[in-house]
Amino acid sequence: MIPHAPILAILLPLFAAFLTPVVGILSRRRDIKRAREWFAIAAVLVELLVVASMLPTVWGGQVLVYKLGGWQPPWGINLAIDGLNLLVALIVAGIGALVMIYSFVYMERDTGLDQYYTLYLLILAGMMGVALTGDIFNLYVFFEIMCISSYALVAFRRKWQSIEASIKYMIVSSLGTSFILLGIALLYGLAGSLNIADLAQKLGQVSPSAVIVPLALFVTGFGIKIAMVPLHMWMPDAYQAAPSAVAALFSGATATVGIYAMVRVVYILFGAFAIGTMLATLGLLTMVLGALMALAQRDLKRLLAYSGISQIGYILLGIGLGTVLGIQGGLFHLFNNAIYKTMLFMIAGAIVYRVGTSDMDQLGGLWKNMPVTGTLFAVGALAISGVPPFNGFASKWTIYVAGIEAGQPVFTIIALITSALTLAYFLKALNSIFLGQRPKHLSDVKETPLPMLFPIMLLAVLCVVFGVLPQLGIDLVRPAQEAVMNSSGYISEVLRGV
Amino acid sequence: MAAESVLFGRGFWGPIIATAAMLLIAAVGGLILLGGRRVTKAKPSAGKLKTYACGEELEAGDIHADSEQFFSPIRRVFKPFYRYIRPAHSGDLSNYLFWVVVGLIIILISIAVAMGVV
Repeated sequence: MIPHAPILAILLPLFAAFLTPVVGILSRRRDIKRAREWFAIAAVLVELLVVASMLPTVWGGQVLVYKLGGWQPPWGINLAIDGLNLLVALIVAGIGALVMIYSFVYMERDTGLDQYYTLYLLILAGMMGVALTGDIFNLYVFFEIMCISSYALVAFRRKWQSIEASIKYMIVSSLGTSFILLGIALLYGLAGSLNIADLAQKLGQVSPSAVIVPLALFVTGFGIKIAMVPLHMWMPDAYQAAPSAVAALFSGATATVGIYAMVRVVYILFGAFAIGTMLATLGLLTMVLGALMALAQRDLKRLLAYSGISQIGYILLGIGLGTVLGIQGGLFHLFNNAIYKTMLFMIAGAIVYRVGTSDMDQLGGLWKNMPVTGTLFAVGALAISGVPPFNGFASKWTIYVAGIEAGQPVFTIIALITSALTLAYFLKALNSIFLGQRPKHLSDVKETPLPMLFPIMLLAVLCVVFGVLPQLGIDLVRPAQEAVMNSSGYISEVLRGV
Repeated sequence: MAAESVLFGRGFWGPIIATAAMLLIAAVGGLILLGGRRVTKAKPSAGKLKTYACGEELEAGDIHADSEQFFSPIRRVFKPFYRYIRPAHSGDLSNYLFWVVVGLIIILISIAVAMGVV
């Protein structure tokens, strides 16, 4: 492991965020082209390396506890890394790196890129902080850093639609973060601690009626972030208005962090496996509503946003089942969703980059011009629809089996029908964009530039690899599942010696 | 581990064999298609490519299926759903905030019931 890797994983993007404008100014003065972009890409690649360096230790069964200032938890702030948050950190760093590479060309026509890369690295620092911290108040602070950067990124292009979407997102999301802060205040009043492990230990001795309100506040707050029905409405507006690179980052990484925070708080902090059925039911509602709304969309990015809502439903269903297989399936789907959702938003961005619109009624027959992009879209569409041999099939299948094993065959049937709906609206998208007659004005459209295609291709390869070798994915998420189901191990490791 | 054997072992789903079978079937299908094209040569004629719509002759590039109408029969089945749910996604912020409050109440009651307090 790289020395001080846990804190480096947060500090690296944080410092890089504030250094990026300086690099930008220097590169313009010295006439060094794209030094800022290369600096940002180098920062995220080093970030990925730092996170990866923690894998052997954590997968070896240890909980990494990094005490800030050498203060012993629960008095000092600590970073506590188990299988669950390392999986999330890996997804955040991986998706962050790929979207950054994609942004290199995708954002080249925009102005104000110093701010873009600063906000991008800031959101990465926020996500990494949420993922790695062992302190609930720190989690809130990093969550706010992530959210505030994301409001600015949605409004980045300063068009009327993006500013409106950003303001709506900010108001709804601020309500959510206020709920979280209120929940933290109530917990502190109840247990007198902010350390997650210490709180988890102390809440075990508190009457269940006392934790209902804080738990509901947390679930609602994080539910807004992950767009769980009926708290989802901000998402299609924000994803449609944001630059596609930003939407790709949100759908792949930010949503993952939201789910992580929900799981950490509900299952590890509160130990509330009893509300699993509620989460699974909300997951079902989320998946069905998302799929039906996606079926009615004309705009590709809006369709992908509703599809993202639907996939969050699958993850909630798996996690809500609360069994070994259910949590494995949910976390595997979380991992897979990050892969193909990021990929599909990148493809939407490639279409916007080349054609200038994501309105499916103005597109058609693009396979002739963009055969590689079309093939990659087909791979992503089949993967998200749960068609074998792609990765979406493996994780959905795990969730289906988990539903039957948990004595909830109706959940499985609804999930299966929703998968068919997913395939239906992606076939519609594939047909509207890449097949059929090509409008005359699209005859000169060129293939996606290679630097944008590279991260998409890499994600497509992962869709195939984790579909053909699903055991790899299950092995990848098993330490995370074990961490979810073994909160006592986390508590004893963090509070060792107290 | 039991979960592994249910999922990917002993006959339920062998992803590598299934993928190989799918590729094989696709290759056989492709060969049949190519063979068919060799046996029956295409005979294009200008008339076959013309589109006749209500008395108007349209260029191929002018025709494009409206994405709103795609799967309209399925959407007709869910008409009641769309009647009530689509207006709720109109972009009205007060509507969004109303649903956040409704969501909080639903979650609060559900948690209370799940934890056996109510």
